[in-house]
Amino acid sequence: MPKILVVDDEEHIRLLYSEELKEAGYEVITADSGYELLDRIEREKPDLVILDIKMVDYNGLDILQDIRNHYYDLPVILSTAYDTFKEDMKSIAADFYVVKSFDLTELKKKIAMALETRLP
Amino acid sequence: MAFYEENPAQISKAEIVVAIPSFNEAATIGFAAEQAGKGLIEFFGDLKSVLINCDNHSTDGTKEAFMAAAPEVPKIYLSTPEGVRGKGNNLRNLFEKVRELEARVVIVVEADIKNATPYWIRNLGQPILKGAGYVCPLYVRHKYEASLTSSIVYPLTRCLYGRRVRQPNAGEFGFKGELVNHFLDSPLWTESVQQFGVDIWMTTIALNARMPICQSFMGSPKMHRAKDADAELGVAFRQTLSTLFDLMLMYSEFWQLVKWSKPTALFGTDAQEVATPLPFEVNMNGLHDKFLKGFDDYLGLWESMFDQTQFHKLLEIKSLGLQHFSFPGQTWARILFEAFKAYSEAEAQRRMAIVDSLLPLYLGKFLSFVKKTERMSLQQAEEYVENECMVFEENKPYLVKILE
Repeated sequence: MPKILVVDDEEHIRLLYSEELKEAGYEVITADSGYELLDRIEREKPDLVILDIKMVDYNGLDILQDIRNHYYDLPVILSTAYDTFKEDMKSIAADFYVVKSFDLTELKKKIAMALETRLP
Repeated sequence: MAFYEENPAQISKAEIVVAIPSFNEAATIGFAAEQAGKGLIEFFGDLKSVLINCDNHSTDGTKEAFMAAAPEVPKIYLSTPEGVRGKGNNLRNLFEKVRELEARVVIVVEADIKNATPYWIRNLGQPILKGAGYVCPLYVRHKYEASLTSSIVYPLTRCLYGRRVRQPNAGEFGFKGELVNHFLDSPLWTESVQQFGVDIWMTTIALNARMPICQSFMGSPKMHRAKDADAELGVAFRQTLSTLFDLMLMYSEFWQLVKWSKPTALFGTDAQEVATPLPFEVNMNGLHDKFLKGFDDYLGLWESMFDQTQFHKLLEIKSLGLQHFSFPGQTWARILFEAFKAYSEAEAQRRMAIVDSLLPLYLGKFLSFVKKTERMSLQQAEEYVENECMVFEENKPYLVKILE
C-alpha cells in the first residue's frame, strides 16, 4: 500500500486528506510543519509527499528544494489555496500541484499519475 | 584527438574545465573567456581549473583573443583541421581532452554570448559538485523565443525520456567529467550531431545514462551576436529534428518503458535580480504564408506519411484562414509521431525530405501558439506549453502502438 506524507499546518486539511486518501487505499501519515521534515522522510520513507506551500513557519517551496536535493525522484504534489505560487520558479521542481478543495478528485488523479510514473 | 593543440602551461590534469567552442569569434570570445575566468576564480578557487577553447581553425584571430583573455587562468587551445566545421566536432575534441585531464566538472559556454557573468559559471558548475550529473540552463526567455524548443524539442524529449528539461538544447551545459565516456562511446555521430544537433544529442545521452539532471536558473536572457534567424532556421530545424529522430531510433527500448514525466532538481533560485525577456517580434502573415506553401511543396509526401485522420485535419487547418487559425496539440503530437514512424522506415534521402517537410507544419504550429497566447503573460504562456506537453505524454501510447 503506497504511503503518503501530508504536510499541512491546517488540521482540518490533514484530517480531510487522511480520511479520503485512506479510503482510497493509501497509507497516510501527516506532519503539521516543515520542521525536521527531511529526517521524517528518511525515517518513514513515504512514496509521495503532499506539501502545503504556505505554512505559518515554513515556505513550502523552500522545503520542496530541500526534498528535491536529497530525494531526487520522490514525487511531491504542491497543495495550495491560490495558484500565484507559479510565479515562483521553484515550483517547477514539483511533480504536480493542486488547488485545495473539498473535492479530492483532482488530487487523487495526480497521486495516481505520480505513483505510476515510470523511468527505467 | 584534436588536429592542433596549444597548451602553454602544459596542463596534464584538471578538476574543472570551462570550454568555449568557436568558429571566427575573435570579437566576442575574449569577453566569454574573461567571465569564465572570473567565475572559476570566484567560485571554484580551490579546484585546479583550465579554460579550453575548442575551435574550428578560425582565421580571424579567435585563438589570440582567447589566449590573451583571463591571464590568471591556464588555457588550452584545440582545433579541428582546416575546413572541418561544427560545434559537435569542437566538442568531440573537448571530450577527448577532458578524458585525458580526468576533469570532474565540465562547463560549456558559447563564444558569442554578450552578457555572461561569473554567476553563469557558478550555476552550471556547482550542481555537479553537489551530485548532479548534467546541468541545463534556464534562461529568461520571451514567450516566442526558442519556439523550436517549445514546440518540438521540449515536449518530445519530455514525453520520450521522462524528464522535464525546459531548455535541453540551450547551448550551455555543465556535466560530470565521466559523462564524456558516454559521449565518446555513442554510436550516433551524424553530420547533424557534428553541427548544432550536438546540444540535444548531449542532453539525450545524459538522460539515457540516467544521470541526475538539474536545471539552473540563470536570471537573465541569453544575448548573442545578431544572427540571420530566417537563414539559420532551416538548417537548425533539419539538424535538430533529424538528431531527435535518430536518437529516438537508438533509444527506443529505453523510451518505450517511460510513462509520464518527472521534474528535475533546480539550482540558482537564490539569485541576483531577475531580468525581463528581450523583445521579440513575430510576423504572423509570414508564418501563415510559409505554412500554406508547405501544401504546395509537400502535399503528396504528407498524404503518404500521415494517417488519414491527421491528413484530413491538416486540410481542415489550412481552410481556417489566418483569423481563425488553430493547430491542436493532439494533431501536432500525432503528426510528429507519424513522421517519426515514416522516418524510421525510410532510406537516407527520403529521411531528409520527411524532416524538411515538417518545417512548414512547425511554422503553422508556432503561428497557432502565437495566436493562442498573444494576450497571455509569460507565466500563462508557460502553462500553455506545459499543457501541450501533457498532450504529448497522453498520446505517447499512440506512438508506441503505431510502431508495433
